[in-house]
Amino acid sequence: MESKLLEIFNVVLRNRGRSEVSQLTENTHLRSDLGLDSLDLAELTVRIESEYGIDIFEEGIVNTVGEIVNKLNALK
Amino acid sequence: MENEGKTVLITGVSKGLGIELCTKFLDNNWKVFGISRTKTEEIIRLQKSYEDRFSWKSYDLADTDNLKQFFNELIDKEALNAYVNNAAVAYDDIITNVQLDPLIHMYKVNVFSPIMLTKFVLRNMLLHNVMGSIVHLSSISVHTGYKGLAMYASTKGALEAFSKNTAREWGERKIRSNCLVAGFMETEMSSSLTPDQKNRIYQRTSLKIPTEKSSVASMVYFLCTQEASSITGQNIFVDSGTI
Ligand SMILES: NC(=O)c1ccc[n+]([C@@H]2O[C@H](COP(=O)([O-])OP(=O)(O)OC[C@H]3O[C@@H](n4cnc5c(N)ncnc54)[C@H](OP(=O)(O)O)[C@@H]3O)[C@@H](O)[C@H]2O)c1
Repeated sequence: MESKLLEIFNVVLRNRGRSEVSQLTENTHLRSDLGLDSLDLAELTVRIESEYGIDIFEEGIVNTVGEIVNKLNALK
Repeated sequence: MENEGKTVLITGVSKGLGIELCTKFLDNNWKVFGISRTKTEEIIRLQKSYEDRFSWKSYDLADTDNLKQFFNELIDKEALNAYVNNAAVAYDDIITNVQLDPLIHMYKVNVFSPIMLTKFVLRNMLLHNVMGSIVHLSSISVHTGYKGLAMYASTKGALEAFSKNTAREWGERKIRSNCLVAGFMETEMSSSLTPDQKNRIYQRTSLKIPTEKSSVASMVYFLCTQEASSITGQNIFVDSGTI
């Protein structure tokens, strides 16, 4: 997992007053594991777009960290 | 300096209320990003007077397809504190004459582009952790019927509903959204009315006079400042007291 992506997650968690995570796995679920709601996911999308230039939710719902990583890898 | 670094996106800045709005924000040290199709004398004057604080770009808001790219080029990496949706067209006719093409054009300019711009503005505010403010220019025609304005009023009614729901959805991020419901102002938009029609409209107000652009601009400005921090999801009437 790229540390840049981990940091983006932690910025979102921090902004919501939640504790940070030290690692994420492919199976980490955005809503049930990290407790992110739709507004948090909007912020996550915006931060990922700003860093990587891709809107991860543009083509439908994303549920896990792995699905985000796949989208970012597809860019390379 | 007070307000230094504060930024606002204003649409429809080439004439009418738009000029007044730009001047109000610029005089209070804000940086203004302005959009309109035409570069009028007033735009050139503002560019000269405020050089680095007035950034203007031409765009036709009927073009809903290239809006994202345009927004990114205009705003670049800057954080927005406010968005004033002021550009609009009025397609007036009685309902039995309505034509689909001009109706669609009006909806693109008055509703679809403002909704898409709100998307980009909210995303900008999220990225920069800004507790921003959005103001849509609505019209008294939504609340008091006028012959010939049904289609136009319907676009403003859509904005009022959109604004109320924006306020509800993004309130927990302290982003606010309000509508400024303007009465009839003396601008190009109302210039096709005959003096007789105008008089009848003004007789339906408490003050019996047109709504002052400067009064509308001052309220819009106030809604964008920290002093209005508890005001959201509202329709604020600046309309000479329409009765
Ligand atoms: N005047 C009234 O009596 C009255 C009453 C209630 C509410 N309002 C509302 O107040 C706001 C300002 O109205 P106003 O009286 O100042 O109108 P106006 O004098 O007609 O100015 C309209 C502005 O919108 C811009 N605009 C129009 N079509 C556009 C397009 N396709 N793309 C980009 N910009 C476009 C125009 O610029 P370009 O032509 O250069 O593109 C202009 O700067 C509007 O939302 C209006 O509905 C007006």
